[in-house]
Amino acid sequence: MLGSLLTALTAAVERSQAAGRTTSERIRRFETEQLTLHVLAATVVFLIVLPVLIAALVSTKRAGIVTSIGDLVPGGHALSNYRRALIGLEFWRFMLNSFVMSVAVVVGKLIVSLLAALVIVYYRFPYKNAVFLFILFTLLLPVPVRFVPLYRLTTELGMGNTFFAITVPYLASATTVFILRQHFLSIPASLVETAKVDGVGPLRFLWSVLVPMSRAVLVGVSVIMFVYTWNQYLWPLVIINAENLQVAQVGLNLLRGQASTGEVAWSMVMTGSILTLLPPLALLMLFRRQLLETFTIQQK
Amino acid sequence: MSTREVYTDRLQAGVLLLPTMLVSLLFLYYPTVRAVGLSFYRASLARSDVFVGLENYRRLAGSGEYLRSVLISVLFATCVVVGVMAVALCVSFLIHEIEVGKGLYLVAVIWPYALPPAVAGLVFLFIAHPNIGIFTSYIEALGVDVNWFSNGPQAFVVVLIAAVWKQIGYNVIFMTAALGNIPDSLTETAELDGVSRTQRLLRVYVPIISPTLVFLVIMNTIYGFFGTFAMVDLMTKGGPAGATNILIYDLYRTAFQFYEFGFASAKSVVLFIAVGLLMYGQFRLSDRYAYYGG
Repeated sequence: MLGSLLTALTAAVERSQAAGRTTSERIRRFETEQLTLHVLAATVVFLIVLPVLIAALVSTKRAGIVTSIGDLVPGGHALSNYRRALIGLEFWRFMLNSFVMSVAVVVGKLIVSLLAALVIVYYRFPYKNAVFLFILFTLLLPVPVRFVPLYRLTTELGMGNTFFAITVPYLASATTVFILRQHFLSIPASLVETAKVDGVGPLRFLWSVLVPMSRAVLVGVSVIMFVYTWNQYLWPLVIINAENLQVAQVGLNLLRGQASTGEVAWSMVMTGSILTLLPPLALLMLFRRQLLETFTIQQK
Repeated sequence: MSTREVYTDRLQAGVLLLPTMLVSLLFLYYPTVRAVGLSFYRASLARSDVFVGLENYRRLAGSGEYLRSVLISVLFATCVVVGVMAVALCVSFLIHEIEVGKGLYLVAVIWPYALPPAVAGLVFLFIAHPNIGIFTSYIEALGVDVNWFSNGPQAFVVVLIAAVWKQIGYNVIFMTAALGNIPDSLTETAELDGVSRTQRLLRVYVPIISPTLVFLVIMNTIYGFFGTFAMVDLMTKGGPAGATNILIYDLYRTAFQFYEFGFASAKSVVLFIAVGLLMYGQFRLSDRYAYYGG
């Protein structure tokens, strides 16, 4: 009896030991797996960042000729390069034009789209679906399919080569109206009913109820619109001829031309590229939470 | 929804809608309609327009150069869609599987969303430059002669890599969001059943996030056709010998290098119809094959 008790006891101990071993093994396996994943992810990040890293390094060098990995050490000309690009080559003007264009489009689009979304969600009127479709259908009419007649129209209006030409045609936005509509539909209907009973008009309701309740989404769509406008290339390229009105994207093209003929160093082109990348990149970093939230609405 | 429609003043509604409607009508619909009209004319900068009927379209149909541009665009867009989505799916899955530090990796990977196409083009022009590119000597050591300023297929590949790089961020944003919505219970069940990681991605996750994938196919197709204009303009100017002459670049040259506005309008109309059909087709396909739950 004592013997059988002893065997039972040792069996139990062995079992618990075995269990302990597998648990710690499992934890160890989980840890090595996670380590592998981290190494892989770090490699991916490195590869995706690498081209911009090289550009940033080159922007600190005098000539900017890097033909081997050994050349990838920062140079001491960062300050003088950025000063030369911004002031000497007047890149500040391109940046300022891009900035004014982007801010004007973001603010204009936001106001115009808020009004449209307000009507589409909170008004009852005939042919409402047709109006909504009319707005949505513009998704099929991006700049590339209409820039030839748009060029003619804008020049006929006497607006070629003006600030008007690179802002007003962008003000209607199916995407923004759609995102705002989806968001408004997720706000309880009881709010607007109460507002109506209390005699609150639509614009008051928009300003003091909808806008405060939509802060994250408004920030998110603003970042989306800013990135979209800042990165415009084709339309400013064809409609703006005056260099003092040109935007940063096309300014880069001018720099590239000068680099190809040897007028400026390649490090200048990379300096201009980093300058052009910074504003949208900064916005993405600052407002990534709102941006990601807004994108999940867009897809619904 | 109907309970939200508490305001009924039609005049007010009209006034509030006016800015969006007016801008859409004047700068979006009217130019499109006018492109159709202009496509029946011979129009240039100096001379007045001459009605030529279907001549522009006949010219298009008979142009070997245009046909080549169509084929290159389709090939390019297909490569962009497949390349971007394959890379982005792997990257998103990787981030999804990581337990600690997800958020950091996500930001470090999605930032190319903010990358201007012109910058993407210039940076790649520089680092892959046949003479002064940093990687050129290493690639040539492998036995490849880097000469994409004169070698068509090489130019195609370099522009393609730049185009894919720029678009990874956008795709990862949507894919990680979709993967994040998959219930943990499903992952646990798959693991208990001994399903391997790769199998879990391909057999379990991909079917579930298929609506997102269809959406991304559409967005990436449009990007492949239009969004890559700046890269082509800055890196290859459509060359060498038309190897990267995608439709949008071809259209730009017809209009603003040769000033053949009528002919360019015909090309716009074809592009519009092609993209419209493509999107329609993809929507239909997604209706049939994508899993929308329930």
